[in-house]
Amino acid sequence: MGAIRISGVTKSFGEFQALSSISLEVAQGEFVTLLGPSGCGKTTLLKIISGFIEPTDGQIEIGGENVTRLPPEQRDTALCFQSYALFPHLTVRENLEFGLRQKKLGRDEIASRVRDVSTKLELAAQMDKLPNQLSGGQQQRVSLGRALVMRPSVILFDEPLSNLDAKLRDQVRIEIRRIQKDYDLTAIYVTHDQAEALAMSDRVVVLNQGRAEQIDTPERLYAAPATSFVADFIGSANVMEGTVLSADGAGLCTVETPIGVLEAKDAGVPPGAIRRLSWRPEKAQIGEPGLTATVTHRAFQGHFTDLTVDTGGTLYRVQTGRDDIREGDGITFALRPADIVFLEAVG
Amino acid sequence: MTLRRAATILLLLMPGLGLILALIGAVVYIAVAQSFGLYSLMGESAFSLAFWSDTMGKKAFDKAVRYSIYVGVLSAIFSVILAYPLAIWLRKPFAGSVTIGAVLKAPLLVHGLVAAFLYINIISYNGLLNQVMQGLGIWDGPKRLQNDRNAIGVLILQTWKNMPFALLLLTGAVQAISDDVLDAARDLGAGSWARFRKVIAPLTVSGLQAAMVIIFIGALADFSFQTIAGPTNRQSLAQLMVNFKGRGDWHSAAVVGVSMMAIALIGSALLAVAARMIMRGRLK
Repeated sequence: MGAIRISGVTKSFGEFQALSSISLEVAQGEFVTLLGPSGCGKTTLLKIISGFIEPTDGQIEIGGENVTRLPPEQRDTALCFQSYALFPHLTVRENLEFGLRQKKLGRDEIASRVRDVSTKLELAAQMDKLPNQLSGGQQQRVSLGRALVMRPSVILFDEPLSNLDAKLRDQVRIEIRRIQKDYDLTAIYVTHDQAEALAMSDRVVVLNQGRAEQIDTPERLYAAPATSFVADFIGSANVMEGTVLSADGAGLCTVETPIGVLEAKDAGVPPGAIRRLSWRPEKAQIGEPGLTATVTHRAFQGHFTDLTVDTGGTLYRVQTGRDDIREGDGITFALRPADIVFLEAVG
Repeated sequence: MTLRRAATILLLLMPGLGLILALIGAVVYIAVAQSFGLYSLMGESAFSLAFWSDTMGKKAFDKAVRYSIYVGVLSAIFSVILAYPLAIWLRKPFAGSVTIGAVLKAPLLVHGLVAAFLYINIISYNGLLNQVMQGLGIWDGPKRLQNDRNAIGVLILQTWKNMPFALLLLTGAVQAISDDVLDAARDLGAGSWARFRKVIAPLTVSGLQAAMVIIFIGALADFSFQTIAGPTNRQSLAQLMVNFKGRGDWHSAAVVGVSMMAIALIGSALLAVAARMIMRGRLK
């Protein structure tokens, strides 16, 4: 049985449907990220799991117990807030002790847990400071520590890195993952940053307009997006329409696309069907014969060059390790059948 | 800081602060001086401790001090006790919250004397309350509710008049607490009372202190509510002061006035400290 089971959770705010029948099972010790653009419902789902919002329909189970109608203070979850939400009038130590005192744990137990977490999070020197005397990274660690001392069944993160600068974000991201593994915590993490989601998660739930577009591992989300939304949101895929012409029975099929007839892996799509297809910019085999294009924009990115190319009047993105291609150059490129992914049907 | 700079700052502050200090200083000086027999309006002026010793020896003065402190402290406490839950309730806007807030603050627009007369009309021997209670069969006959010995009428009026002021101050303070901080407390297991005691109270203690001190000073120096609705067997300090003045005894009136100022000052400080100690109690 999963540590968390979300079954058909729906949430409406008046006429607005924030979540539509979301189901998800999270295993003990798993790190699952809710990913999506602003307003997709990821924070609403997190607040439903933590108990701050009651679902319109559906059920939440934590550790096998139905907690759908339990208030947050009675759930075995701990939430790390985007704003850190530290108690400004309490010292770091008192912030860490707050939840443990609510639980009415013994003095020795409280001291032991706080010592353990403060050592792990390197907060020992800050224990008598007030939150406004700490840097953003330190406040983030206190927020994390305050959740960790509770030893919850589930730890929830609501965009905890969004207020940190890029360098600190990378560092704290690694720290969060290390601590989650050390404590074998089941974690649900909310972010709109796809790089963060791919780097940290065991699985990612891609949400769009309150629906789960795809629930999968980062690798599969990237390599085999299920919808054009996922393909476009995870990385930056080229999406186009194609009509399946024929299948050769040996695992390949031919597809007519705006950039020409391409070979793709046979996904069981019948001839005549019109589907959306995607391919990743870095999968373009530049210099290989096949497709022709003119470079309209070039952006050097360090370890690769990002090119916008015009192919028959439509613009696509391709990436290459070469740095000798200039705007206005004509290039040829090919796409391998395995790199073309079938998405949803058109119409 | 150089002398020149200090002088510049002093000159810049003079128009505002200077005027305030001059006005307050003059009043305090005259009151203190008169309490010691100086600046006599009715006769010879000479320094004397007799007015202090005479006035403080009077039973009426002792009763007035205790009565005024009683009214001041309880009015301040009742006002904030009522205002706190309302401030928390009105913290987040909801349909009708602006109207409710406006209605709750309406007493600020009604003069105290008008409120006192309305109140007397309601509780009088043949007033609305007596009629309703008899009509409902709860009371057999009319009861005398006016000018009660425990000054409950005065306390009701003071609370009615001052609660909106406390509400104004506390609403601002409560609204300044972020939702995330309260949600974090809840997420960590704090129920409603624990959230109030450990988060809301410590974070709003400055607003609470301001409300309590201002209400205490106003209620301590009450004259109009006491005159109309207060008990007849004792006087407030303000009432006693006016009585002395009415008899032409300006020096004794000044003694009461200076005492009132001193009690207001000391009482405010004590209330502020007590509020901080109680509300700011750390996680013990």
